[in-house]
Amino acid sequence: MNQLLKRKSKGDMWFDIVNYFMLTIVMLLVLFPLYFVLIASLSDPNLIYSGEVWFFPKGFTLDGYGRIFSDSSIWIGYANSILYAGLGTLIGVAVTVCAAYPLARKGLAGKSAIMWFLLISMFFSGGLIPTYLLIKDLHMLNTIWALVIPGAGGVFNVIIVRTFFQSTIPDEMWEAASIDGCSNTRFFWSIVLPLSKSVIAVMVLYHVVGFWNGFFDALIYLNDENKYPLQLVLRNILVQNQANSGMMIDVESYAAKMRVTELIKYGVIMVSSLPLLILYPFLQKYFVKGVMIGSIKG
Amino acid sequence: MKSLFKSAGLLVLAGVFALSGCSGGGESKNQAVNPDQDANFNKTGLPIVKEAVTLKMVSPKAALAPDYSKMEIFKRLEKQTNVKIDWENIPDADFAEKKNLLLASGDLPDAFYGAGFTDYDLINYGKDGTIIPLEDLIDKYAPNLKALLDRRPDIKLAITAPDGHIYGLPSWEENKLDTNPFFHVINKNWLDKLGLKVPQTLDEYTQALIAFKTKDPNGNGKADEIPLSFMHMQWCSDIAGIFGAFGIPDNLEHRIVREGKVIFTASQPQYKEALKYIHDNWYKQGLIDPESFTQDAAQYLAKGKTPDETLGSYVWWEVEEVVGPERSKDYALLPPLKGPNGDQMIGRNNGGGPGRGSFVITKENRYPAMTMRWIDQQYDPYMAAQIHWGPLDVVFKKDEKGKLVNLALPKGVSAGEFRQKVAPGTGNPGVITFDDFGKVVDMEPRAQKRAEYLEKYYTKYMKKENYPSIFFEPDELDKINRIEPELIKYVNTQRGKFIVDGEVDEKWDSYVKTLEKMGLNELMEIYQKGLDRYNANLKNK
Repeated sequence: MNQLLKRKSKGDMWFDIVNYFMLTIVMLLVLFPLYFVLIASLSDPNLIYSGEVWFFPKGFTLDGYGRIFSDSSIWIGYANSILYAGLGTLIGVAVTVCAAYPLARKGLAGKSAIMWFLLISMFFSGGLIPTYLLIKDLHMLNTIWALVIPGAGGVFNVIIVRTFFQSTIPDEMWEAASIDGCSNTRFFWSIVLPLSKSVIAVMVLYHVVGFWNGFFDALIYLNDENKYPLQLVLRNILVQNQANSGMMIDVESYAAKMRVTELIKYGVIMVSSLPLLILYPFLQKYFVKGVMIGSIKG
Repeated sequence: MKSLFKSAGLLVLAGVFALSGCSGGGESKNQAVNPDQDANFNKTGLPIVKEAVTLKMVSPKAALAPDYSKMEIFKRLEKQTNVKIDWENIPDADFAEKKNLLLASGDLPDAFYGAGFTDYDLINYGKDGTIIPLEDLIDKYAPNLKALLDRRPDIKLAITAPDGHIYGLPSWEENKLDTNPFFHVINKNWLDKLGLKVPQTLDEYTQALIAFKTKDPNGNGKADEIPLSFMHMQWCSDIAGIFGAFGIPDNLEHRIVREGKVIFTASQPQYKEALKYIHDNWYKQGLIDPESFTQDAAQYLAKGKTPDETLGSYVWWEVEEVVGPERSKDYALLPPLKGPNGDQMIGRNNGGGPGRGSFVITKENRYPAMTMRWIDQQYDPYMAAQIHWGPLDVVFKKDEKGKLVNLALPKGVSAGEFRQKVAPGTGNPGVITFDDFGKVVDMEPRAQKRAEYLEKYYTKYMKKENYPSIFFEPDELDKINRIEPELIKYVNTQRGKFIVDGEVDEKWDSYVKTLEKMGLNELMEIYQKGLDRYNANLKNK
């Protein structure tokens, strides 16, 4: 033990101390906003704005949470978000992995043409209106499919996964397996997938976060309030129009809207980011490894 | 290289596909049914149709509101008329975006309700046939609306597009409340404490602010008083009202009218004097809350509710909303202050006519006549009031004179929240004219109070003239949209800089030059032309 300690020179010690100090600062910088949102969600909104609240809740109140928990549209949104994120991730990751694998292997006919095709779609898109017309003509408007299918198999993700396969699954492995009589499908299922846990975990996280935070597609394609994902429900409650001459008479309604918004603003941030905060640590260990591995061609 | 050619080929292909996918304007897929040959359709009386017919409508709705199909008021209308509405409700925060998408992609409903069509929308989509002209339908099938337009030629003029057609129907609560949103408030309690009288002139006001800052009027031993807070160039919370003390009053557009001439205020010498005064006497002395240039409404309204009273003076059209009902007794309204040269006046807000894009009928509609009869129901003042504030037996009851009076609210809900749940609200079809108030329905108590205050403190200091909300020609609109947003943004940014940094004298000339470079003169010419045309039209009516 002493030996070990001795091996650290003074320089190393200082380096460690400075290092820990810096990292602690960075950690606090990241943590404090989260902590602030938590205490703000329990405080009186007026006190937050007047700068009274900064380390402990002031004017403690649970009204905000009371309102959130009694509002059915928020929970419907919650359920929808979980459904969209679950199904969308399943479809998205499956498509991505299945597209990436053949592109990573030698001997696929027309591989470079397909790759070009995908790359072009990465840089050029039809734009909002043609895309909307397409979805409309596919009769996907106002259905879950409009959200989970069109975005499946993002080219960027396909490239990450493809590079991962190229660098971690050597062709010799396939040769060895096929000599033992292994079919392509079997090889993919029993050997490639188990070896790619890290990249799949990363893809899952990307997709889940993407679906969880996404509201634009839902805004464009859904008409039925009962299908709205959580983010859209929150947006409708929280996004306010500026006071203007149109609200001349109906100050009453404007004020009511403001009160509700201020009260639940921080609470909904808490409630809506909780699932991701819970999910993150579990996938964290794959995360760093996975992205890096996919980025370098070994 | 080869693959490059290949990809170029693909690109061209993709372009072709994209082009062929477009379908806006042009002919409608649906033939309109001729109302004269439609046995199902009654030209007068109720129900409108014998057999139920469904129309598809798109409309915005407030976040707290239920789907319109579940709203009491619309259920009743359906029962009376036999016209069923298939609603597609879009939350108001996203309505504009979604509306534009539907119009651009040609995915049209039968009508847009509470549509919020801008002048630009009305003219453009009117020109390409996406929405249909309504004047003949109004003449034949809309007795309520027709009577209103005959009685009030000014409304008719306001909703008629430059090409002579009416594309969108009006929405208005004519309460005459929007003449001046800038209610300047001062802490009377502090004035009394410090032995000062309510300021009459700008200099007295400055003295009062200095006393607020230095003499600790709230007595907590801290210098936490904010002498003056406002929201830079925002509706109902800006100090534009102060500028009148220098001879030319201001408003949010920086545009006023004097004897039929349009004047741009922000390039006038009086405006310059005002900026100099505000910087030298207020900002430099630390009397203006520095957050005035950045805060949003929520932060601003919270300033009045701090544990110790800290606000000395502020601008908002309702005293209570900023400081809460308890503290509002400490505050008093300030009439316009006398300036250094004895000027005392306040600006009048521009526009103020009816909204003109609250209901449009699209080319996809097979039953325009029926639709017009359905919407005309809502141009009866009683129905209009119910659309704007809430239905009979829920929000209102009729008293013995037949006036709508408010019922008691259910427990634990505020009027504003309740109203959003039972009625589409302000900005939707229906017109309640000034004569209807007090006869058909009363103004909200808060609105009445505001009308009283306006009368008492501000109206006599206002010039009658303002810039009406004029329906411009498409090419004029293009020019306005090209020049004005940038220009106003620059003016407002500079106003902030002048107030904060001073140096008005040094930088004024280059500021005015920049305005001219940005097209100020061209812009004023368009506004002048529009106004002359408008006045000529009004005379001919």
